[in-house]
Amino acid sequence: MMDKKRVTILTSIILFCFIAVLFRLADIMLVRHRELAKRSRTQYLIVQDIKPKRGTVYDRKGRELAVNLELDSLYGIPSEVEDAKDTALKLSSLIKVSDSTLEHRLSRGGDFVWISRKLDPKITNRIKEMNLPGLEFLPETKRVYPKGTLAAHVLGFCDIDNKGIEGIELKYDNYIKGRSRKLMLGRDAFGKNLSTGSIPEISGDNIVLTIDEDLQYIVDKELDKAMQETHARAAVAVMMNPETGEILAMADRPAYDPNNPSAFSPADRRNRAITDCYEPGSVFKAILVSGVIQENIFPLSQTFDCSKGSIEVGGRIIHDAERHGVLTLTQVVQKSSNVGAIQIGMRFGKERYYKYIKAFGFGEKTGIDLPGEVSGMLKEPSRWSGVSIGSISIGQEIAVTPLQLLRAYCAIANGGYLLKPYIVSEITDAEGKPVKVFGPQRIRRVISERTSRIVTDILTTVTEDGGTAAKAALDGNPVAGKTGTAQMVDPETRRYSHSKYASSFIGFVPADKPRIALIVVIFEPKGEHYGGHVAGPVFKRIAEQSLTYLNIPIEKDNHLLLVEHDEDR
Amino acid sequence: MKRAQDFLRHKEEGMPYYNEPVMREPQQQSLTYMYPQSADRVIIVATLCLIGVGVLMVYSSTAILSMKKYGTSFHYLKNQILTAALGIVTMVTFAKINYMRMRRFAIPLLCLSFILLLLVFVPHIGISAGGARRWLRLWPSTFQPSELVKIAMVIFLSDYMAKRQEDMKTPVKGLIIPIAIMGIFQIVLLKQPDLGAIISLGLLTISLLFIGGVRLSHILGLLLLSVPILYKLMLSVPYRRRRIMAFLDPWQDPLGSGFQLVQSLLALGNGGLTGVGLGQSKEKLFFLPEPHTDFISSLIGEELGFIGISLVILLFIIIFIRGVRIASRLKEPFGAYLCFGLTLMIGIQGVVNFSVVSGLMPTKGLPLPFVSYGGSSLLINMMAVGLLLNLSKTIPREEWKPEVNKKRRRRVTRTDRASQFSLPFGNNSPTSIFSKGGHGGTL
Repeated sequence: MMDKKRVTILTSIILFCFIAVLFRLADIMLVRHRELAKRSRTQYLIVQDIKPKRGTVYDRKGRELAVNLELDSLYGIPSEVEDAKDTALKLSSLIKVSDSTLEHRLSRGGDFVWISRKLDPKITNRIKEMNLPGLEFLPETKRVYPKGTLAAHVLGFCDIDNKGIEGIELKYDNYIKGRSRKLMLGRDAFGKNLSTGSIPEISGDNIVLTIDEDLQYIVDKELDKAMQETHARAAVAVMMNPETGEILAMADRPAYDPNNPSAFSPADRRNRAITDCYEPGSVFKAILVSGVIQENIFPLSQTFDCSKGSIEVGGRIIHDAERHGVLTLTQVVQKSSNVGAIQIGMRFGKERYYKYIKAFGFGEKTGIDLPGEVSGMLKEPSRWSGVSIGSISIGQEIAVTPLQLLRAYCAIANGGYLLKPYIVSEITDAEGKPVKVFGPQRIRRVISERTSRIVTDILTTVTEDGGTAAKAALDGNPVAGKTGTAQMVDPETRRYSHSKYASSFIGFVPADKPRIALIVVIFEPKGEHYGGHVAGPVFKRIAEQSLTYLNIPIEKDNHLLLVEHDEDR
Repeated sequence: MKRAQDFLRHKEEGMPYYNEPVMREPQQQSLTYMYPQSADRVIIVATLCLIGVGVLMVYSSTAILSMKKYGTSFHYLKNQILTAALGIVTMVTFAKINYMRMRRFAIPLLCLSFILLLLVFVPHIGISAGGARRWLRLWPSTFQPSELVKIAMVIFLSDYMAKRQEDMKTPVKGLIIPIAIMGIFQIVLLKQPDLGAIISLGLLTISLLFIGGVRLSHILGLLLLSVPILYKLMLSVPYRRRRIMAFLDPWQDPLGSGFQLVQSLLALGNGGLTGVGLGQSKEKLFFLPEPHTDFISSLIGEELGFIGISLVILLFIIIFIRGVRIASRLKEPFGAYLCFGLTLMIGIQGVVNFSVVSGLMPTKGLPLPFVSYGGSSLLINMMAVGLLLNLSKTIPREEWKPEVNKKRRRRVTRTDRASQFSLPFGNNSPTSIFSKGGHGGTL
């Protein structure tokens, strides 16, 4: 009834169309699958950088020294702000930005402008209550140092973007800041994030310091006290384990609060223990003596005539603080006789002396894992003038950092090994698994075991009766150490000042089995300036408390002896 | 039971029984009547499969949108299931009515659809959405008259051509009058605008006229004449040309005129062979416009892959071939035209939809029959399937596979027996009465 031919034609056309569609779909879906799927991904997947939290900094016993705090940052969307003036006025009463600045920021258009970052939660709440249009909060983490000024110079601080600026925060920034992870997030056409579940929280590596919070506290406290008593310009104290090179405490004064670094001058934020070099003065005599004994220049019984009280070297006359008679080598050190030391130095000779100064690590960086370390100043012997050998014998004409000195003394204390000081014992990842472990590192052997014992004995006499640092002596435990009272160069006159001194004491205790080595440098104390008087007592107080804390038995305790006798009976 | 015996008797006597209905009570008029044959089960299964896929994909594509708009992910799904249920009722109803009686309604239905089409422009009754006025407010839902227009046109043309079989070769009665009627509808549709409906209505009308015996020269002449009109309408205005021609290279302006097609291609391309998995589409996340209506096939491609979308296309091909087969076996002209017209209606909509989403045709909104969300389209297409089934029942089983003689006997008995119990379209309805004008055959 219907025209069969026409039905067939029309049916064929439609069927052909269906087949064409199938071919077309095969082309799109199979041949061009990869290309189109990739294009499709680019529009529904967004790569989001997850910013890791900074790792925590712990002391050697796992106590937190630097942590993170979640705070809200306030930003404005100027295009959504209704009344810029009113908003600015309301905000300026709460945050430390003037209303005119705020108004300017809020009225210039655009979609994003920081108003105030990392706000106090109380202020955040009050702003939220005001419910102003065009203001939004963004959670950010703020680096917080819960112990305040404690070890501030070691820890350093971060800027507003959580980038390490100083100290450990800077040195290990790459570890602490962590690697931001790229996360592929699905999103819909409105840009809304569609991924289920929360964004994984990632965090940088943690740093475990060799610092002991308690020891650091002792040092901090005593330095504060010393600063108060002496009205000094600055002070430095570093405590080190002489056997390993671990820094147990490192304190600088004036202190600063890393939670609010901008309130302090850059000078106060400097870690003077490694960034400042000064002429060490008499403490350097120990280096001279170590070299002389190691090289066996003369017998230990050799005496030096210091009765004149002064000596002329290369046209410069150098005095002793007080007139001594004929002194043995030990006494030269004990009484810190410049005249004696210069005689020894001249006998030693500049080449050999230079070799030992170098061997003790002066003129080079200690390699401690803190930023900003300086190497000090040490002239080549060829550039030494006639007076140099004398000056350097008594610790002038050479600039060293407190840490360099302490390390040199540690070499004396530990049997002659120059160590690489370190302050980070371990880097652990977010799960606590160690990423990197640090241990003691001997750089070289400087002096022999025998020399170190002899020098230690000599240095022990310093804190005994008749020594310059009787005030540094501890009840029960012998202290080996040396005082230093260095005149500082007056920057105006470029000559040694008669009022500005760097008073220092370096020592280790117990002398025969050293557990801690400590340097205390008081820069420009007012009034009393002798190292033994200014720094010695500080040393004593720190050492005493530290030994108690470390449970180091008192060796020569009369009471203990009595008890033993009681038991004998 | 008695009637079944009657049929068997008829059969034994070698009498064709498709035109030998039981006339127990000829005086009783009824809208429903029964032919002895069961309905075409292949079409039923294929249709139900498509509806199932549709329900599934409507849910997949609207869950998020629904959540966003209504707070529950089931809003669209619920509507689609309700419509599908209503659609099945519609299908059963239209499978049971006396299709010949529809001839009476051919012209009134066309007029009704025209009025409804115009009502779209009446404020408060008509609803505009997305820059187009296509819907009527019909509590509690909406109705799209352009869907009704299609089936009304098919019924009208079938009736028209059946009445004037000889006149079809004349230019005025055979071509100009039907084309003029189509043109009026298309002008109204252009005002909505609903270009998808215009295209499918045009293709449908011309195809039917072609089948109806209109001279090829007339049709070609018409096509030639329509070229300048089409040019004027589609390509003369630069922005419209740009939009229409964007399908040739959608990547040129992937965020503007090419956006829909680009998103559709991305969805399809993302699907690959096996698809990203049901419910896993990324394009439906508001990238792909109309993922539950006109572009649901892109979503099928993305989630079910080339395999999935090919199966859907296969279902359409099956329905189409089945429909053509029924049509070519019908001896009564109105039924044959109607059957072919309805088959074409479903087929053309399918082809146009798939062509649009795959970039073979300019992007124009046209739902995929049975699958896309939308009550009007689903109900009208179910009505069409119902009529197809109705018509399929008028063909004796013997005629299905006349060439396979050996298997014929067994096959017939089995299907006959089964048909008495299995389907709602079976021949055991006690109320089914053959009406007066209901002769299915040409005898």
